[in-house]
Amino acid sequence: MATPGGPRPGNFPPNFNPNSLANNMQNLQINQPNQQQPNNAGGSAPRPPPNATPFGQQAPPFAGNRPGPPPPGVFPRAPGPPNVPSQTSLPPNMVSSRPTGPPPGSQPPPFSSRPPPPGAMPSSIGRPVAPTPPAPGPRPGSYPSSPLTSAPSTPSHASASGPVSNGPPTFAPGMTQSGSSFPPAMGGMPRPLVGPPQPPAMLSSRPSSQPPQMRPTFGAPPTAVSSASGQPAPPFSGPPRNMMPPMGSSPFSAPNTGMHQSMNSPYGMQTWPAQPQQVTPPPPIPGSMQQPPRMFGLPPGGQSLPNQSMALNQTGQSKIDPNQIPRLSQSGSVIVHETRQGNQANPPPPATSDYIVKDTGNCSPRYMRCTINQVPLTVDLLSTSGMQLSLLVQPLALPHPSEEPIHVVDFGESGPVRCSRCKGYINPFVKFIDQGRRFICNLCGFTDETPRDYHCNLGPDGRRRDADERPELCRGTVEFIASKEYMVRDPMPAVFFFLIDVSMNATQTGATAAACSAIKQVIADLPKGPRTMVGIATFDSTIHFYNLKRASQQPLMLIVPDVQDVYTPLESDVIVQFSECSEHLEMLLDTIPTMFESNRIADSALGAAVKAAFLAMKSTGGKLLVFQSVLPSAGIGSLSAREAEGRSNMSAGEKVLMLHIFALSGLILSDKTLKTMAIEFAEYQVCVDLFITSQMYVDIASLSVIPTTTGGQVYYYYPFSARSDPAKLYNDLRWNVTRPQGFEAVMRVRCSQGIQVQEYSGNFCKRIPTDVDLPAIDCDKTIMVSLKHDDKLQEGSECAFQCALLYTTVYGQRRIRVSTLSLPCTNMLSNLFRSADLDTQFACITKQAAIEIPSAPLAQVRDQATNVCINILYSYRKFCATVSSAGQLILPEALKMLPLYTLALLKSTGLRPDGRIDDRSVWINYVSPLPTPLVIPLVYPRMIALHDLNEKELDDSIIPVPIPLSSEHIATEGIYLLENGVDCLIYLGDNVQPNILQQMFGISSLEDIPNQFILQQYDNPLSKKLNDIVNEIRRQRCSYLRLRLCKKGDPSGMTFFSYLIEDKTANGLSYVEYLIHIHRQIQSKMA
Amino acid sequence: MAAPELAQTEPEGIEGVRMTWLNWPRSKVEASKCVIPIAASIQPIRPHVDLQILPYAPLRCKTCSAVLNPFCRVDFNALIWICPFCFQRNQFPHYYSSISETNVPAELYPNFPSVEYSIQNPQDFNPAAAPSPIFLFVLDTCMIEEELEFAKSALKRAIGMLPENAMVGFVSYGTQVQVHELGFSEMSKVYVFRGSKDITKDQVLEQLGLAVPGNRRPGPGMQKSGGGPSPVAGAGPNTGINRFLLPASECDYTLDSLLDELVTDQWPIAPGNRALRCTGVALSVATGLLGASTSGAGARIILLVGGPCTEGPGSIVSKDLSDPVRSHKDLDKDAAPFFKKAVHFYDELGKQLVSQGHVLDVFASALDQVGIAEMKIAIEKTGGLVVLAESFGHSVFKDSFKRIFEVGEQSLGLAFNGTLEINCSKDIKVQGIIGPCTSLEKKGPAVANTVIGQGNTTAWKMCGLDRSTCLTVFFDISSSEKSDPAGSSQLYVQFLTSYQSSDGQMRLRVTTVARSWVAGSEDLVQGFDQEVAAVVMARLASYKMEMEEGFDATRWLDRNLIRLCSKFGEYHKDDPASFTLNPCFSLFPQFMFNLRRSQFVQVFNNSPDETAYFRILLNRESISNAVVMIQPSLISYAFNSLPAPALLDVLSIAPDRILLLDSYFSVVIFHGMSIAQWRNMGCQNQPEHEAFAMLLQAPQEDAQLIIRDRFPVPRLVVCDQHGSQARFLLAKLNPSATYNTAQETMQTGSDVIFTDDVSLQVFIDHLQRLAVQGS
Repeated sequence: MATPGGPRPGNFPPNFNPNSLANNMQNLQINQPNQQQPNNAGGSAPRPPPNATPFGQQAPPFAGNRPGPPPPGVFPRAPGPPNVPSQTSLPPNMVSSRPTGPPPGSQPPPFSSRPPPPGAMPSSIGRPVAPTPPAPGPRPGSYPSSPLTSAPSTPSHASASGPVSNGPPTFAPGMTQSGSSFPPAMGGMPRPLVGPPQPPAMLSSRPSSQPPQMRPTFGAPPTAVSSASGQPAPPFSGPPRNMMPPMGSSPFSAPNTGMHQSMNSPYGMQTWPAQPQQVTPPPPIPGSMQQPPRMFGLPPGGQSLPNQSMALNQTGQSKIDPNQIPRLSQSGSVIVHETRQGNQANPPPPATSDYIVKDTGNCSPRYMRCTINQVPLTVDLLSTSGMQLSLLVQPLALPHPSEEPIHVVDFGESGPVRCSRCKGYINPFVKFIDQGRRFICNLCGFTDETPRDYHCNLGPDGRRRDADERPELCRGTVEFIASKEYMVRDPMPAVFFFLIDVSMNATQTGATAAACSAIKQVIADLPKGPRTMVGIATFDSTIHFYNLKRASQQPLMLIVPDVQDVYTPLESDVIVQFSECSEHLEMLLDTIPTMFESNRIADSALGAAVKAAFLAMKSTGGKLLVFQSVLPSAGIGSLSAREAEGRSNMSAGEKVLMLHIFALSGLILSDKTLKTMAIEFAEYQVCVDLFITSQMYVDIASLSVIPTTTGGQVYYYYPFSARSDPAKLYNDLRWNVTRPQGFEAVMRVRCSQGIQVQEYSGNFCKRIPTDVDLPAIDCDKTIMVSLKHDDKLQEGSECAFQCALLYTTVYGQRRIRVSTLSLPCTNMLSNLFRSADLDTQFACITKQAAIEIPSAPLAQVRDQATNVCINILYSYRKFCATVSSAGQLILPEALKMLPLYTLALLKSTGLRPDGRIDDRSVWINYVSPLPTPLVIPLVYPRMIALHDLNEKELDDSIIPVPIPLSSEHIATEGIYLLENGVDCLIYLGDNVQPNILQQMFGISSLEDIPNQFILQQYDNPLSKKLNDIVNEIRRQRCSYLRLRLCKKGDPSGMTFFSYLIEDKTANGLSYVEYLIHIHRQIQSKMA
Repeated sequence: MAAPELAQTEPEGIEGVRMTWLNWPRSKVEASKCVIPIAASIQPIRPHVDLQILPYAPLRCKTCSAVLNPFCRVDFNALIWICPFCFQRNQFPHYYSSISETNVPAELYPNFPSVEYSIQNPQDFNPAAAPSPIFLFVLDTCMIEEELEFAKSALKRAIGMLPENAMVGFVSYGTQVQVHELGFSEMSKVYVFRGSKDITKDQVLEQLGLAVPGNRRPGPGMQKSGGGPSPVAGAGPNTGINRFLLPASECDYTLDSLLDELVTDQWPIAPGNRALRCTGVALSVATGLLGASTSGAGARIILLVGGPCTEGPGSIVSKDLSDPVRSHKDLDKDAAPFFKKAVHFYDELGKQLVSQGHVLDVFASALDQVGIAEMKIAIEKTGGLVVLAESFGHSVFKDSFKRIFEVGEQSLGLAFNGTLEINCSKDIKVQGIIGPCTSLEKKGPAVANTVIGQGNTTAWKMCGLDRSTCLTVFFDISSSEKSDPAGSSQLYVQFLTSYQSSDGQMRLRVTTVARSWVAGSEDLVQGFDQEVAAVVMARLASYKMEMEEGFDATRWLDRNLIRLCSKFGEYHKDDPASFTLNPCFSLFPQFMFNLRRSQFVQVFNNSPDETAYFRILLNRESISNAVVMIQPSLISYAFNSLPAPALLDVLSIAPDRILLLDSYFSVVIFHGMSIAQWRNMGCQNQPEHEAFAMLLQAPQEDAQLIIRDRFPVPRLVVCDQHGSQARFLLAKLNPSATYNTAQETMQTGSDVIFTDDVSLQVFIDHLQRLAVQGS
C-alpha cells in the first residue's frame, strides 16, 4: 500500500509476470550481476552475516546509541544474547542447525561501524544519479507496485533455514533459524534485511547501475509511464499533467528521486534477494500505470500530476472494469529517506513501505508522522480540505537496523537545555542569536539566555559552530539522560508479574498449560541483571501467590481467599529478583498445570486477582501479564454474561442491534470498578497486558479498560486451541517482554505557536489533559495526537512538533526521548493534497472509528467514515481539479486509495454490523495503539497465491505478488494465503491438486483438513517455500499469526470470503459499487 | 459424710467438693449473717482411686432428672426409689430387678457419693472410632528470630507427642493470618487472610472452600449429618476440613518441614512502631476453621502469642510504640481506648467457641503485655489454659507446654465438651459459678435471683476441663423459717458432669453430697472451712473488682472480716484484749491479711495481663493451690533440723538458713547470707562438708517436686539474701521488721522489708479492736 500509485499487481497485462518484469529490469541494469551475486552468496560465505542479523538486529538500534563507546544498551535488548537463549529453548534439532549462523556476538561490530557508511553513501551517490534516471522513472509512486511486495524479505532466511521445520510446538525453530527468529526478529522486521553492513563497494557501484526508480509517493511525474510500456495510458482521465505543479517545482520530486536511487543502492544490495526486484520496479510500474489509465480513460498526461491519479468515469458504470480501479500495491524496494533536504522537510515515504531513515534534522517518520506534510496556515484551509491534522507518534518505534542509532546526550546535573517558558527541549530548529548568547525557542518564540557552559559562537551561516557535533542540534531525535529533577523516585526496576487463570475451564482447555509453558520459555529472555524482578500468581475463585524466595526447595503457595476485598499476602517475596528465583520459577511453572489439573472451581476472580497482583506490585510498578480464559465471575469486577442474555429469540436485525447496545453498555456501564482500578494501576505505574485464551464470551469490552488505561494491550486467542495456539501465545509473550520498552513514562507533544494539541488517544491514562501517562510503553505503541489551530500560522515559517517521552529503561536509566518534526506551512490547498500522507490519514480515520464505536451507533460511525472520504474527495474535486467531464471521479494521487481503504474499513471486524461483541471489542483495542504500518494490512489484508509457488522463480523475493481481494481472482484449483497481521487464512480451492496438498500440508484431500492447523515443514520445496513465506510475513508483522485452513462450504470458507473486500457481500458494496456511490455523493454535493 | 478416712490428706475426698460451710443455716437471714457466702468448690472430674466407673447408663428421676444416688430412699421390694430432690417415686427398670439390700448397685453405695458412668460400653469402646481430639496451633510470627525458634521447637516437640489419631491444624499469623493447608502435597500452601478486617465464621468457611455452594457441601448440613466421629470421614480427597486438619501421624513430617521454613513475619515494621500483629483475626479464622469440623469433636485452639495485638479487631494498643499498653490505672481512668472494644470482640469469640464446643488455650511469652486481660473472658468461658511467660525459651513456657501433651501420670487429663448440671434440694438456689465455664441459661426453680459469675442457669458448658479444674458454686437459701418440721435436716446437692475424656469416651460423673440444715451458730462454727472461705472470698473479691465499678476490695474484705469476727469471735464488748476466736476461724484473719496484700487485691503492682492471668488460675485451681496463691508456704532448711514450715515473716530469714517459698506462680529458694558465702566458696564440693551439700540440695529437690506437679509450671527463682532476686521472697513476707522498726527488733543476720505496709500484728490488733466495738 505504500505506493499510492494506481498500479496494482493485478493490473499487469494478462501475460504479465512479475518475474519476467524483473528479468527485464535486470537486463536493463548494468549492475544486475552484482545484485545477483549477493543473493547467491547469501547461501555461502557472505551470508553468515545476514543470518546473524536476526539476532543482532535488535541490538543495533538500541545499543551503541552514544557516539562514544556503546553504552550498555539503552534498550533492553542486548544484542546477541537475547535471541540466543531463545534458541536454546527450541527443540534440539533446531539447535543443531543453528551453528550456521554467525555467533551473535559478532554482530554488534558491524553495526557500530555502520552508521557512517550508510549515511554518507546514499547522499553522495544518490544525488548525482538522480538527475538522469536511465529509465524515466516511471511513475513516482508506483515503485513497489507490482511484484515487489516481497522486497523486504530476507533472503538469508531461506537459505539458512532450509532444514528447519516449523515444529508444531514451537514454531520458533524455523524462523529463528532463518534468521527471522520470530518474536525477536519481528522487532526488527526491517532489520534483518539490512543486517550486516553491506560492503561499501557494492554500494558505490550500485547507484549508477540502478536506474531507478522507485520513488516516493510524491514522486515525480509519470510522464514516462506511457512510454515505458506500450500500453495505452488512456484510462485515466485525470487532470492534465500540466495542472500540477511542475516536477521541479514540487519540492518533493527532485529530492525523492535522488533518495531512491541512493537508497536502492545501499539497501538492496547484495543482501537481499529482494534486491533485484527493487531494481525491477521501474519497469513494472510503467506497465501497471498504464493499465489503470486505460480503464478509466485517464490521459496519460494526467498521471503526471502527482496529485491526481485517476478519475472514474461515472457515467458508464457498466464500463468500469474492476481491474482498472486503484488498488493497493505493495512496495518492495527499500527507500532511503533523509528527513530534511536542502533545509526543508522531506515528505516521508509511505508508512508501509520499507525504508531507511537518515535523520538530518527532522525526526524519523517512524517516531512521528503527520497526516499532512505541510501545515495549513489557517483552520479554514484545513477544514476546507476535509482532512484532519493529526500526528501519529510512536516514540519507541523500532528503527531499521541500518539506521543510525539515536544519540544519547548527557547534560549532567543540569539536565537538557530547555525553553524556560514552554519547557520545550533544545532541538535543531532552535535559533541562536546574539553570537549564540541567546536562543529563540522554535515552539513558543520566547528568547532565552544560553546557559553559560552551553555557549558556542555562531558560524557565518548563522548556525552554531558546533551544531553538527551536537546531536541535539542536528538530529530530529535524541535521547537525554534525565537528571535528578526528572525523578520523583529512583528509576523503577523492571518488574514482570505473571497472573494465570487456573479455573476449571482454563485447565481443561489447556490454556493454563500453554501459559505456563510460554512463560517458562520466556523468562530466559527477560532482561538480565539485578533490576529484573518477577512474580507469579494463579487464580480461580481465589488468588494464589507464590513465595519464590525460600531457602528450601519448595515454593510456598499463598492463597488470598477474600476476593471481594483483596490484599497482598506478603509484603516482599512475592516479587523477587529474577536471578534469585529462576529455578523456583521454572519448577513452579512445571508444577502449576498438574497441580490444578483436576481443579473443579469454575469461577474466576479476575478482577480481584489483578487487583491483588497490583497491590503486590504497588511499591515498584511494572508489567502485569494476565492469562485469562473465562468470563470473570467472582469477586470484585466480576461480570455477567451479557451476550448470552441478548441472544434469545431475536431476529438477526434485532440481534445485531442488541449486540451493539451490549457493546455500548460494555464500555459504558460495565464496570466502574474496573475503570477505577485501572486508573489506580496507572497511577502506580502498573501496566496490564491481557492474554485471553478463551473458548467463550469473556466481555472484552469491559475487561479491556484495564490494559487500555495502563498502556497495555489485549491479546485474543479465540477460540483457544491447545494444539495450535500455544506457539502463538509463546511468541506474543516473548515479544511482549523482550521488545524495546520503557516504564513509568510521561509523554507530551508541544507544537509551535498557532497549533495546539487537542487530544491524545491510544492506550494510556489520561489524568491531565496535557500529558500522557504511560505506566509502560513499547515499540509497538502508537499514540494519535489530534491537533487544532488556535491561531493563524505565519506564511513562510515552519511549524514544529516536539514529542518528549520521559521514561525508564528496563535497565533502570531515566531517559528523555525527544523527537522534533518541523514542517513547512502552506496557504495552498493543492499543497495540502499533494502532501497528504495516505497511510497516516487512514490510520487516523480507523482509530477514530474505533474510538467512536463504543459511544455511538454503529451506523453513524460507518456513515462518518464514508463521509470523511467523500468530503476530502469533494474538496479536491471542487477546488483543485480541473475536470474534463462531470462524470469522472477524480482522486488526488496521494489519496487515491482512500475509497478502497474506506470500503475495507466498513467491512472490517470493527465496523461490520454483524459479528461477536468480543471480536469487535478486540478489534477496537487492537486498533487503538496500532502503528500506522500495521493499520493498513489489518483493514486491507494481503492475499497471495500459493499453488503456483513452484512455477514462479522467486529467488529474489520470498513473498509472491499480492493479488486483489476479489473472488474473481480466486481459482478453484488455487491455494491462497490471506493475512492481516493477526490472522492468516489459507484457502484451498475445491480442485486443488492433491499432490500440492500433500506436499504443503501433508494431507491427501480436502476432507482431511484439520480444524486446528499447524504449519509444518515437509521435505519438499513447496513446503519449504510456504514456510519461508509464512515466516517472512510473521517477521514483517511482528506477529505470529493464527493460521487456519479454509475451504469452500465450511464456516472457515465463509470467513475467508468475508475478507475479500472488493466483493459485494451482505455487509456491503463491491469496490466498483462503492466508487460509484462515492462519486454520486460527490456529484450531489457539487450540484 | 465425706469419706472421712481420706479427709486428712485430701479434704475434697471422693466427692471433689468442699464447701465454705459444712452445715447450712436454715434461712436467708441466717445465711447473710454468716458473712461468708455459702459456696461449694467443686472439681468436677477430679480423679480418685476409689471412683467407680459404671459401664451402664444412669437412672434418672422422671421429673427432675436427678440421677439415682446413695441418698435415695429405695424400696427394694417394690423396686421403687424416691428422688431426694423432688421426692418423686421412680420405678426401677426391669434389669434392676435383682437388686436387694444385700445386692445394691454401686451408685447406691453410701461410700461412693461420686460415681462415674461410662456411657459407651467399655467393651464396645473402640479408641479408633472415638472422636479424635483436634489441636489447632496458632503461632504468632511477629517476634525475634530466637523466640520464634523456641516456639517452633516447642511446637515440634508437642506434635511429636500427640496421639496418632489427634487431628492437627496449623495457623500462623503476623500482619496477616496464614492458614496452612497440610493436606496439599504438591507444595506448601497457605490461605492468607488480612489482619485488619474482622471475618465471620461463614466467610472463613467460604473462603477456605469449606462451604462452597459449588461443592454441594452445605456447611451446616454437613455438620449435622456428619455423624462420623472423625472429621475425616466421608470427605473427598481435596475438599473439606481434612485439607487443614490431619491426623498427627500423617502430617508430622509436613508440619516439621513447614515449621523449619517458617520465618518471622515479613511485613515491615515502621520505625517507632510495634509489629502489626492480628491476634484477633487469627483467632477468628481459627475458630471459623474449627467450625467446619464435625460437631462433637473436642478441639483446642492453642495460641502461641509473643506480643500485643495491634492490627484489626481485638487490638489492645495502637501501633505507635510511644503509646504504652494499658495499665490498671488507665483502665480505672477509662483511658484505655482499645480495651472495651477488644473485650467485646473476645467475648463474641468466646461465645462462638462455646457454641462449637471448642477451647482456647493461650501461651503468651513476652516482656510486655499481650492482651490476656482482654482475652481472659474467652479463655475462661471455654475452659482454656493460659500460661504467661517471659520467653518461649523459659521453662515456665517450655515445660508447661509439654505438659498438656503428656499422657499417663503426668497427664493433665484434658477433657472436652463438659456439661455441668446441678440439682439441689428445695429452698436451695444457685446464684452462679465463678470458674472456667459458661452458663447455658437453663432456667429452673433452682435459679437464684441474684447472679454471681455464670448464673441464671442450672447447667453450664465447659468446653475444656481437666482433672484439676475447679468451679466455685454460690448458693442462696430461699426459704424463710417455714421449713417443714418433719424436716429432713438433710439437704442434698447433686453435680452431674458429662464430658468426653481425653481418650474420647463419653462419661458422666455424678456426685451427690448431703449436708445438714442447722439452726445454731455452734454447728455453723464447727462446719466452717477456713481455707475454702478464704479462697471463696478471694474469688469473689476478684470477681467484684472486675465487675463492679469503683469496688474497693480492701475495705470490703476488712468489713467482712470484722463482721465475721464480731459474729463468731468471743469477746467482751469494747475489750480488744478479751477477743478470742474459735480454732475453726483462727487462720482466717491471716488469710485475709495476706489476701489484702496479694496480687489479687493489690493489682497496681501488676499489669492487667498479669492480674488476669492470676485470677484465671485462682478461679480454676483447687482450694489447696489457691490457698498457696493467697498465702504462700514457707519452709526453712537449716543444719541439724528437718525442713520445717516457717512463719511467713521477715523474721524467718536467717544467715544460716535456706528458705523455700512457694507462692504458686513462683518457687523461691532463698539462701541466707552465710549459706550463700559458703556455697560461693565451694564448700559443698568438699567431702568434709557433705552435710552442707545435702542442705543445699534439699530445697532444690523439694522445689522440683512442687514444680513437677503444677500446671502452669511455676517460675523457679534461686536467690541469695540481699540479692536483687530476693524481692520475690521479701514481697511475700509479713513486714514485721521494716525500716521503721528496724532499730528495735533488728537481730543479727535478719532482714528488713522496706515497706510502709502494716505488719500482721498491727493488722490483728486493729481487727480485734474493731471487732469488739461493733455490735
